[in-house]
Amino acid sequence: MSSGFGKSLRNLLFERQQIMVENSGGISRRQFLKATAAGVAIGLAGDPSLLHAAEEVDLAVITGEPAAATRKALEAIGGISRFVKKGERVVIKPNMSFAKTPDFAATTHPLVVAAVAQACLEAGAREVLVLDHTLQRAELCLERTGIRDACRNMPGVHVLALQDRKFFQEIRIPSGRVLDRVEVMKDILDSALISVPVAKSHSATGVSLGLKGLMGLIWDRESFHFKFNINHGIADLATAIKPRLTVLDATRAMASGGPGGPGDVKKPNLIIAGADPVAVDSYGVGIVPWYGRTFNGRQVEHLLIAHQRGLGNIDVEKLKITKGAA
Amino acid sequence: MKKTIQTLSLLLFSALFVFATYRMPDWIPADLYLRIDPLLGINAVIASREVIARVLWSLLLVGATLAVGRFFCAYVCPLGASIDGLDYLFFRKKKRPGLKTDSSLRRWKYFLLIVMMTAALTGVSLVYFLDPIAFLTRFYTFVLHPLAIAVLNLFLDLLRPLSRGLGWVGLSHLHYPQPVYYMTAVTLAIFGAMIALGRLAPRFWCRYLCPLGAFLSLLSPLGVFKRRVSEACNRCMACQKGCPMGAIDDDPVKTRGPECIQCRGCAGVCPEKAISFPASFSGIGEYSRIDISRRGFVASLAGGVSFGFVALQNPFTLLQGKRQLIRPPGALPETAFLRTCIRCGECMKSCVTNTLQPCLWESGVIGLWTPKLELRMAACEPNCNVCGKVCPTQAIRSLSLDEKTHARIGTAVLRKETCLVWAQDKMCLICDEICPYNAIVFRPIDGYRRPVVIPSRCNGCGYCEQRCPVKGESAIVVVTDGEIRLKEGSYIAEAKKLQLEFRPDPGDDRFVIEESGFKVDQERREGEKRPPADNPALQKPRGFL
Repeated sequence: MSSGFGKSLRNLLFERQQIMVENSGGISRRQFLKATAAGVAIGLAGDPSLLHAAEEVDLAVITGEPAAATRKALEAIGGISRFVKKGERVVIKPNMSFAKTPDFAATTHPLVVAAVAQACLEAGAREVLVLDHTLQRAELCLERTGIRDACRNMPGVHVLALQDRKFFQEIRIPSGRVLDRVEVMKDILDSALISVPVAKSHSATGVSLGLKGLMGLIWDRESFHFKFNINHGIADLATAIKPRLTVLDATRAMASGGPGGPGDVKKPNLIIAGADPVAVDSYGVGIVPWYGRTFNGRQVEHLLIAHQRGLGNIDVEKLKITKGAA
Repeated sequence: MKKTIQTLSLLLFSALFVFATYRMPDWIPADLYLRIDPLLGINAVIASREVIARVLWSLLLVGATLAVGRFFCAYVCPLGASIDGLDYLFFRKKKRPGLKTDSSLRRWKYFLLIVMMTAALTGVSLVYFLDPIAFLTRFYTFVLHPLAIAVLNLFLDLLRPLSRGLGWVGLSHLHYPQPVYYMTAVTLAIFGAMIALGRLAPRFWCRYLCPLGAFLSLLSPLGVFKRRVSEACNRCMACQKGCPMGAIDDDPVKTRGPECIQCRGCAGVCPEKAISFPASFSGIGEYSRIDISRRGFVASLAGGVSFGFVALQNPFTLLQGKRQLIRPPGALPETAFLRTCIRCGECMKSCVTNTLQPCLWESGVIGLWTPKLELRMAACEPNCNVCGKVCPTQAIRSLSLDEKTHARIGTAVLRKETCLVWAQDKMCLICDEICPYNAIVFRPIDGYRRPVVIPSRCNGCGYCEQRCPVKGESAIVVVTDGEIRLKEGSYIAEAKKLQLEFRPDPGDDRFVIEESGFKVDQERREGEKRPPADNPALQKPRGFL
């Protein structure tokens, strides 16, 4: 009974929040606060079946529209408060490296980013920084990807591209094989990191999902491509940068032509969330054929290396997965 | 009142300059001041022998000057305002007795005007060098704007501990990309010298050098407002001393008509209130006497022709189009481009990636300050078409984004001898990763996957050249070969004719094969029979095992 009630109220809220995200200019502060409060309240009251499920679910795979599916996926994985503590600062790392509109699938869908940011705020995050080190001119990337617009009227959410070395700091990678130190964004060092990659092909690493996306947090990404084996480099990076949660945006997937595109854009309409970055990526490998061929996670070299080094579980069949639709 | 209008005009000029970015809405004429400058317009029209629609804006100023007189210099000219401001800062307390050579120096601006117009007749654009609007825009672009950004970033850096401490996220992460230009030092030196000349006489530039002032003074005699001195004058000469243009004769009742810019400073300082500027249609007469000797006139003509000769008759002209010089997308064919460009620097200021840089000697003396692309430093951004939008003479045509995409500026050429993949069998794919048009594909060659440029998909944006990790010269460079430069008509149609395709579509990446010698899972792979390298469909894309 309570579950049914919660569900209908939640649906109501979803619709409302979707309107907020898409048309955030038209919502007053009061409405916003009400919606936020309601969100928190529901998070507390919760849906018992989902709460129960959260204990054991490794992955949430939700099909649906970007914003709604994201919210549902976060809920299915046990609520964002599992990953974000009250008063914490959150860094969200989407892919906004290219000055391309969302339909190219080269960048994360803006509504997915906004939904994750919104959830963080509802969980009591002090502030949310949406950060990337872009490949193309920063302001064009922020503008074209739509991510800045999607987060514009969310107080406490800042969408920034960090393009100057002063915002980076060198850290050591004690267990690095090819990389023993790397300059990373200072902001991730004292924040909860949530990775929100887009699913796309990549001409060097096969696919570019969550682990590959971490390269957007470092200063010198070029050297990965020619100084050492990029697949080992990505695994090294994953030992040092550990997102608490990965939300893979597979609402669209660029099945070839990646990472910059233009490429063959497929529409899996999926959001995949999980705490294990290797597991999320491994599941992501299987959702569409890449370059016209079907692969599994073990066939992607950087994922296999990460798995072998104990950074996560690559075997999707051994995972507990909640599937659903929003 | 004059100071207020002057300040407002300088502010408007500066604001339009600031607005000139890729984001600029179409309705903002960022190049307004350059458009209304008739001298630049006439020069471009004469030199290029073409009618340029945007130049018609300058009829506004021509008409106003005919009706009112030479008011522009005192009230509108942003360089005049800058000179007045800097004069106040540096020289206000200095004694400046009139120059002995005043009357002959005054003729110089007419001589320069004749030289420049004659040069334009020979097909050489020269007026830009001393035209005040182009002059100031250049100073803004190459000196003031980079300086302002540097100071702003310094300020933000100093403020950063505070802004971080207070939790102002936006401010603590704010950093503006620093624009840099080749000709900053030269531009600054020339501007500094020009201001320093003010030490000799107030508005030295305006009195003796400014060709636009000379041109407007030729139009001014018909203007309705003229200085008139009443009987009350006691010949105290305060007006003569105070006139910034030296437009008042030794007989203070008389005015050197063409020199008067109607600033009305004399009326302000006159203790007897004997000076007024009534509207009168008294016409030309005394007021229009301009003293250019026949000898001076002929010498100036000769100077203009000589300049045209030395500027054109040299190997640079013969080598036009054979040199490695990438011009902005939409730039007119080289000869027409050099004739039409007025070197204001507006395109380089607004360029979103800072790739547009002023030439020094790359195309000879006629190419000074013309824009070129420095693709090793930055690429030409596919989402931006601002350089044409802000070009006052349309030496760079204003194009829609789609047209601009097809205005191919060159073609990327791969240098196998330095390419990391071709020369050293390394795994590098940065050019392919960044290429917005999928013009770079990997093909199996010699048992290894190597990058190849598909020229028909490359429009020369230069992302590959910029990103190439090879030290020194890039292993993939954009050359002028294949550039499309049209005086008129559609670039899309032309590109279609040439069977070029710059559309975003998947390309043939599906044939990407993986043969990179990964050691992972080696045993398993060794066990498999290796597919032949010439059958890519059987092989897997890179990164997959």
